[in-house]
Order: sequence, then C-alpha cells, then structure tokens
Amino acid sequence: MRRIKIIALIAVVAMVVAACSGDSGDTTTTVGGETTTTADGGETTTTEDMGETTTTAAGEDNPLAEFGEDPTAADLALVEKALGPVDPSDEASWNIVLASVARANQNLDDATIAKALECWAAQECDTGSGGALVMGYADGGGNDVNVWRSVSHMEAVLQALTYPEIGTIVSTAANFDQDTNVPINDIRFLINRGVDFIVGYPDTGTNLSGVIMDAAAAGIPYFPFSAGWVGLPDQDGALIPGEDYPTVVGEDLCALGESFAEVLNVGVGSGKVALLGGSANNALSLGWQRCTIDSLGADIELVNPPPDDDTTTGDTYWFAPLIPGVFQGLLAADPDIRGWAYEYADGMYIGLPEFDEPIQNVTMALRTDEQNLFCDWADRNEPTYNIWYSAGGNFQSRVAVTAAMLHNKGADIPGEIVVPHVMRQVDADDCDPNRPNAEASGTSLVPDEVMTQMFGG
Amino acid sequence: MVTASKPSSSALTSLVVGSRYMPVYLALIVLWVVSAVWAPGALASGTLAAVAPYAALLGITALGQMLVIMTGGIDLSIPGTLTLAALVMVGVGNQADERISQAILTAVAVAAVIGLVNGILIGGLRLNALIVTLAVGQLVIGVASRYGRSFPVQRPVPTGWSSWTMTRVFGVSPVFWAGVALTVLFIATFRYTTLGRRFQVAGANPTAAQVVGVRVRLHQVSAYMVASILYALAGVALAGLLRTPGIGVGAEYLLGPIAAVVIGGAALTGGLASPLSTFAAALFLTGLNRTMLVMGLPTSLQTVVFGLVIIGGMLVSGDRIIKAVERTLRERRRPEGTRRQKNDNSDDGPG
Repeated sequence: MRRIKIIALIAVVAMVVAACSGDSGDTTTTVGGETTTTADGGETTTTEDMGETTTTAAGEDNPLAEFGEDPTAADLALVEKALGPVDPSDEASWNIVLASVARANQNLDDATIAKALECWAAQECDTGSGGALVMGYADGGGNDVNVWRSVSHMEAVLQALTYPEIGTIVSTAANFDQDTNVPINDIRFLINRGVDFIVGYPDTGTNLSGVIMDAAAAGIPYFPFSAGWVGLPDQDGALIPGEDYPTVVGEDLCALGESFAEVLNVGVGSGKVALLGGSANNALSLGWQRCTIDSLGADIELVNPPPDDDTTTGDTYWFAPLIPGVFQGLLAADPDIRGWAYEYADGMYIGLPEFDEPIQNVTMALRTDEQNLFCDWADRNEPTYNIWYSAGGNFQSRVAVTAAMLHNKGADIPGEIVVPHVMRQVDADDCDPNRPNAEASGTSLVPDEVMTQMFGG
Repeated sequence: MVTASKPSSSALTSLVVGSRYMPVYLALIVLWVVSAVWAPGALASGTLAAVAPYAALLGITALGQMLVIMTGGIDLSIPGTLTLAALVMVGVGNQADERISQAILTAVAVAAVIGLVNGILIGGLRLNALIVTLAVGQLVIGVASRYGRSFPVQRPVPTGWSSWTMTRVFGVSPVFWAGVALTVLFIATFRYTTLGRRFQVAGANPTAAQVVGVRVRLHQVSAYMVASILYALAGVALAGLLRTPGIGVGAEYLLGPIAAVVIGGAALTGGLASPLSTFAAALFLTGLNRTMLVMGLPTSLQTVVFGLVIIGGMLVSGDRIIKAVERTLRERRRPEGTRRQKNDNSDDGPG
C-alpha cells in the first residue's frame, strides 16, 4: 500500500512538472524587436542591429536533439519572413516549425543550387548524399502550371537536401488534371517506386483516401502541407491525421477563417461580401469558409452562401481559365460587393479585370501574397481599396519534409502541425518589383538566387 | 399523287433547313427570360460586356469546329492547339509589345501546320478523324508542355496585348467584335462565294461533289487548316484576357465548341451548318454558364445542368427530329404503292 502511495505521489508530481513545462503560455513572438520567442520554455532573445535580426538561444534544451533537429537554431528573421509577426502555435507544432526554419537558413553554394534545380526539374534525382531514403513528392498542380506550386516544390527539395539520409527525390505533378485518376496514379507510381514517404498537396481531397491508405499499408506515410487535409474529419471519406496518415501541416483553418471574417467585419463594416475557394469542397477552402461564415458581423451580407455546411462556395479551382467566370457571376448578381475573402492572391489578381474601374471601397482578406496583386494595388494608390494577407505558405512543404524525417526517426509528432498565422495589411513595401517572378510569394524562403534560376527562362 | 395543297419541294427544303437552326434562338430567348426572372444581374450591361469576349472565344473555336464537322469530321485537337498558341503568345511575345505581331503570326503559322497534319491524315490518308485529332491533340499538348518549360511558368503576355483585349470598343472587348466579324465573314463566304458553296457541297455529298469536279480532299484539308488557325486566334486572345496563360488553358475548349456546333443545328454527318446559329449557340452556352453562376448554383449542380442542356440541345437540334419530320412529310407525299414497296424493302437506317 505504501508503495502504491509513493507511485501515486510520483505520478502526481510528474504530471505537475509536465503540465508546467508544457505550458508555454509565456511564449511570445518577435515583431520588429518588440517581443521574444521561446520555443520550449527557455529564453530566446532577439536583437535588431543595423537592420539584421539575429537570434540567440540561451540555456535551452533542444527537445528534438535526439532526432537531429534544432528548433533553437531557427533564425527569427526567417520565421518572420515566412509567417509574419505570429504568436507561436502549440509547443509540439512550433518546435517542428522552428526546426524546419532552422534548416531553411541555408548558405547555398553553387553545387547545391545546381543539385536543387536538377531535383526540382527532374522526375527523379540522386541527391548525391548517398542516403538510403527516397522522398516522394506528389503535387496535384506542378512546376509547369503554377508558380506557387513550383516554389513549394523547390522549398521541399531544398529542405530534403539538408538531410544526408535522403538519397533520392522522386516528384510527380498532376498539373491540375480534372481527371481525378491522374493524381491517384501519381501516388500509386510513388508506391510502386518504393519511396519511403510522400510529401504533397491533395488537391482532390478524399478522392485520394484510398490510395493514401494503400500507401500506408505499404509502409509509406503521407505528409500533406498547406492545410491539405485529406478531407476534414467530418467529411465523407475523410482520413484522420494522426491515425490514417501521420500529420497534416497547415494553419488552424478555423482561426484563419475567423481572421478573414475579422478583416471583413472591420474593413467593410456593413455591406456585401463574397467568399471564393479552390476545388469544389476541398478541405482547405471548406475549413476556413465555415468559420468565416460563422464569424461575419450582423451587418455583413454574404452574397454567395453555400447550400450547406459541407459545401464550398465560390469554387475557382485555383485554375486561371475558370476564375474570370466566377468573378463575373458574383459581380453580375451583386455589383456592390465590398469585401472578398480568398486563399489565393494570384487568383484575385486574375479576377481584377472583372471589377468596375476604378476599384474603390473594397476590402480583401487573402491568405497568400503573390506580388502581382500587391504591385497592382500599389500602382492604383487608392485609399479605399485595402488588402490584408497572411502568408504564402510555400515553406510549409519544408515543415512537411522535416515532419516526415522526425517520424522516420521515431519521434512523436502531433496529428496536426499548426503553422501560426497573422493578418497583415498590404503596404507599398509588399510590392517588390525586382522579385524574380511577379507571381512568387514574398514570404517564400527560397533564396532569390535560386528563384532567379528557376524562373530565368 | 401530289396535290397543290402539299408543300412544294423547295418549301419543304427551306422548312427543314430553317427549322434545324431555330432551337438555338429559342434557347437564347428562354435563357433571357430565365435570367430576367431569376438572375437579372446576368443581363446587366456590365455583365454582358464582361461575358462577351469569352462567348466570342467559344464562338471562334466553334466556327472552326463547324468547318470540320461540315466535312463530316470532328476535331479534338482544339485544347492542344489553343494552348500552344497561347503559350507562343507568351514565349515569342517575351513581354515586349513590339513582338506582339510576330507572336500572333507564329501562333497562326504553327496552328496551320497542325491543321495541315490533321487534314492530310484525315482527308488525304482517310484515317479516322476522331482518333487522329485526339492523337495529334495529345502530341501538341506534349509539345506545348515542353515549350512551356522554356520560359518561366505564369509569365505574362506582352502588356500591350493584354491591354488591347481588355479595352472596350462600343462598350465591349474587341475580342467580341473579332468574333462577330469572323462570323459575318463566314456567312458571306458561304452565301455569296463559289468557294463557300463548293465547300458546303463537298461536305453534304462528297461523292456527288467529286463527280462535278469539286476537289473534296483539298476542301477537307483546308477545313482542318482554317479551323486550327481559328483555334490559334482564340488562344492568343484568351492569353491576352488571362494575362498569364498556362498549359491547361485550353482544357475547357474540348466539349464546348462541339456542343455549340451541334446545338447550332449542324449535321454531324456533314454539309449543313450555320455560322450565325453556331455563334449564337456559343453565346447561349456561355450565357448559361454565367447565369448559373449568378444564380449561385453549387458547382456540382452547374455541371449537371450544363450536361443536360447539351444533351437536350442535341436532341432538338440534331438530325433526329428534322429527319423524322422530313421523312414523315415525304411519306405523306409519296403515292400509296411506292410507300408500301419502300416499307417492304427495309428501314432507312440512322439519320
């Protein structure tokens, strides 16, 4: 009996300690030198000197050291470049995010750049490391059809090249093919190729459930990024991250949707707003749209409500030829739409010609940050036209690669790796006319010298 | 015995030929009424102006498809040809306004070659049009994909070109007026020129046309070439409207032009077709799509309605009903003895 009491006491003490150490309630984020970030209860201080942000980690334990990762080494300047002035997400997620950024801080030599370009362009490449692992990359889009996809692919390749264990990268692209068998067959090809894990974005959602389960049965885990849920948990045919596949990397979609609503509530005040999305009923759009709709103010009228809670609205498929028609349809029904929420800034840019000129009294809440829209906004210099954005999210593919490697080495990873977000208002500085590609996100962590060669023609 | 009260042969022919083109105009009226009642925004001047260039693009590709169908063929290489032309506008245009004309000419020339290949394989070597154009289309898509890698993805077309396609002439994009002009050109060619009439004869009855000295094969090859050039013109115009076309840009133009031609009353067996009703059908299909968007129908329902309308259009516009009417009228005119003999022989066969 006494032994049981001792064990119980030890258990209680252990739980208290665990609770205290797990509570990173005092974690804060650096924004222009205002605050600091702590990854695991230690102290991280940020200083700004001559415009350069540096990070020092003092007295911290590295929670991922045994798996070869070091979140404490993350350059907070890169964190802010990729995400903006965010508050950290839950500790487990945040550590993986930081560990990914730590690896993104690469000093690339010419040989590495050449190898990255080779692996980015080729279906299969030897990384030259001699590693035994084969990374699969399955994209529903692809390098040749979309800049965002192209950059995200390069982020994953660059991240993979930091792991000597990865000796081969095999990439597939479905190029937005409307035939859902194409992305399915791409993943089946990767299974047959014998990859060790697959990173990708499931454009066709639950259509991929079967083949992802086939991959799991073959011992090949799937790591989607950019909130690429293989169906939201309450959707028919959805897979459950943490059970059917190890994790999904992305923003808290409901929080993102609420952020969009907040922008529209404040920016529009009272009036009509419209929501746009990607592929019909895709989990990303559905996830944020649900919470945006629930959070819109009483004086806001949504012009295109979905028929039910399981259906997306404003489906553009993120596909340029279809986007103008969707804008035409919405603006025809309600020419005085004053607020727009959409996850794709470039899609918004494609739809701009459908607006009556000059564009005035319009507020946009966007997720990504393609430069063409922002530069167009800057050229207009219209004070009643305001854009808010979160982050391009390209670098989330890096997080997926790191999550895959952690999983491969036996680390426990959360079923949802939450990448924090914050909404920022576009200003003139958000337009970089010298960007190697006008459609590229300003928040990508792909170095300019690499991007220049990617898009150099 | 034919009585004076029965329609004369020429009147019957006019009735049959005219009636096959009527459904599309009725459909346009119905669409107008439906829009006025349930989606009035779709009829606003701003909306019509925004939709017009896209309707014209479908119309231009449908005119090309119409030419091919008039020869008894079909062209499934539209997506590939259109895509390649759009990418040529980007690649050759190289974001330089002074290269616009060079880019357009290159796109047209490349398309002409694609059409020539189609024409030779189908008109010259008598290969199956469906298979040949599908195969050539795949080949062209592959070339376009390869070519698209030679410059940055999503590189825009020259600014001057995109600005021109988005300007307003009489309130509408010049792309729409280009479509109207091409339609008028086709009407005039078919109605007032020997070339046009020969083309119609060659499609309606190739054997008879051959007998009277019409070079049927040359007409077939020419049809595919002209059609491809039209696809290219649509491709470069679409590139301007979208500014940053990609390799999937032509995917939407596989079924649409065929549907427009059929709903426009063309005979899939060749010969009869009307450029005006084909262009009207393109306006109808584009308008239907936008009306459904304005009405806020879910995407899944939109595709269902669109498919049903195309099937319905085929049912009322195709040869089936017209031929049935024609047969019935002929049966009534035919002397009793002849009719019995005909019935004893066999059926008429399809179409």
